[in-house]
Amino acid sequence: MEDQILALTADLAAVKSAAQVTNTMFAEMYYYVTIPLMVLIHAGFLLYEMGATRVKNVLSSGVKNLLAFAFTIAAWYLFGWWFYWALPTWPLDLAAGAGYMEISGIGYANAIALPWGDSAQYMGPNMADNASGVFWGAFALFAATTASIASGALIERIQTVGFVICAIVLGTAAWGIAAAWGWHADGWLVTEFGYHDFGAAGLVHAVAGFFALGVLLNLGPRVGKFNADGSANHLAGHNMPLTVTGLMLIIVGFFGFLMACIILPGEGWSWYADKGTTIYGTPMTLSALAFNVPLAAAGGIIGAWVVTRDPFWMMSGCLAGIISVASGLDIYFGSTVIAVSMLAGMILKPCADWLEGLGIDDAVGCVTVHGTIGLFGVMMLGILGSGIPGLGAFAPDDTVAISIWGQFVGSIVMFLLGFVPGYVVSWIVGKAGMLRIPDSVQERGLDAVKVPARAYPEGMASPESES
Amino acid sequence: MGYFAESFAELYNADGWIDMGMFIGGAGSSAAGWWTVIATVMLLGVLVKGNSDEQDHYK
Repeated sequence: MEDQILALTADLAAVKSAAQVTNTMFAEMYYYVTIPLMVLIHAGFLLYEMGATRVKNVLSSGVKNLLAFAFTIAAWYLFGWWFYWALPTWPLDLAAGAGYMEISGIGYANAIALPWGDSAQYMGPNMADNASGVFWGAFALFAATTASIASGALIERIQTVGFVICAIVLGTAAWGIAAAWGWHADGWLVTEFGYHDFGAAGLVHAVAGFFALGVLLNLGPRVGKFNADGSANHLAGHNMPLTVTGLMLIIVGFFGFLMACIILPGEGWSWYADKGTTIYGTPMTLSALAFNVPLAAAGGIIGAWVVTRDPFWMMSGCLAGIISVASGLDIYFGSTVIAVSMLAGMILKPCADWLEGLGIDDAVGCVTVHGTIGLFGVMMLGILGSGIPGLGAFAPDDTVAISIWGQFVGSIVMFLLGFVPGYVVSWIVGKAGMLRIPDSVQERGLDAVKVPARAYPEGMASPESES
Repeated sequence: MGYFAESFAELYNADGWIDMGMFIGGAGSSAAGWWTVIATVMLLGVLVKGNSDEQDHYK
């Protein structure tokens, strides 16, 4: 009898061990898959921006887009990842100490997020660590996505290296800090104000959109965009099918982006042994996204179609629909999502027209789609979701809930985290003569001047290009 | 370049997984930091040279 109990105990331990291995490998695979899915966002941005560019500048836009992706990922490795872990409690705690969950602060970041010293064991292959790499990879793609969002607004007149510097600041510093404050269980916006932004409407989209606005104010419009009387000309891109297909690819990538926002159960780093949660530790399921993301995409397309009948704005509406409910994708009811996302699709074009009326040349509607609609989404959750707990059951008793006030404070912070760095860094880059491409070069065409290849060597020559 | 075991068999025969990095560049040594310095200098160099070339195009 005793032997049988011992044998059963050994068998049980073996089964538990095997189950844990399965869980660990599943979790690693889950986050790993989000990375190539998010690369599709960048494939989409590449098509989208090149399609929205005139023939004479197509490859130059592509080069700019590829370098934003590449440099942001490298910079995220070197210091962006550190920002995210070091700064959740700063500046409320000027020393940037650890928060309640003790997974933040300069000491913690120094231990896990620096590519040198003892911390380096978490920044490369490590047989004892199935988590750091896939989390870093997912966050690197979040950072690159944020940087690439601003790219489209600036096409056809921003210098390449000047733009890369802006992209690094946006993707690592601005977004890294925004995520630390509003997308971390120790983030002060979360613990002090109950800020809730599951799908990053504010901390990715609004930050990127208003960063672009700050750059646009220093960069100025494309040559030929505005007439002497202030009226605007429509500078049509050379390939609408490319642009629309690119936007649809971005939507595909969004599924990866959003699934990476879930914390799986059963691991040492999980919030719960048996429940999936948001990054805040509040419970949610992947099924919530399966309902709400397609519904939001549909609502946005329909809303934009009602107002514009234009496929470009319909697909922009698709993006806007998802962004408008991104903050609460974990908790919204499906019909609520349809209503809010349709409204976002409807207001999109009028908001973009208003911005253009102010003399701002946002080539693809980036400020409106990501900035304005991002903040709209953050505030809608405050209106519709007030009272819902902002952190999971493990949090201290005095944790504040989601509220209009908290979402409003978060909106202001996200606006400033985007606009101020965007304006300041582009002003500095501009003073160094690295921001705006000379008007004579814009008129000639960027590809003819600085790209050693032709987009369409056998056709589609631009009447404006010397090439 | 700082790899800390002679073979994979040596790693797998140890008591469980070794709780340290396996990256080329040296776990627990200063090599990781030096590689980071090299990578950073290369990236900055590319930006400086890239900007210089770009300004030449606009002249």
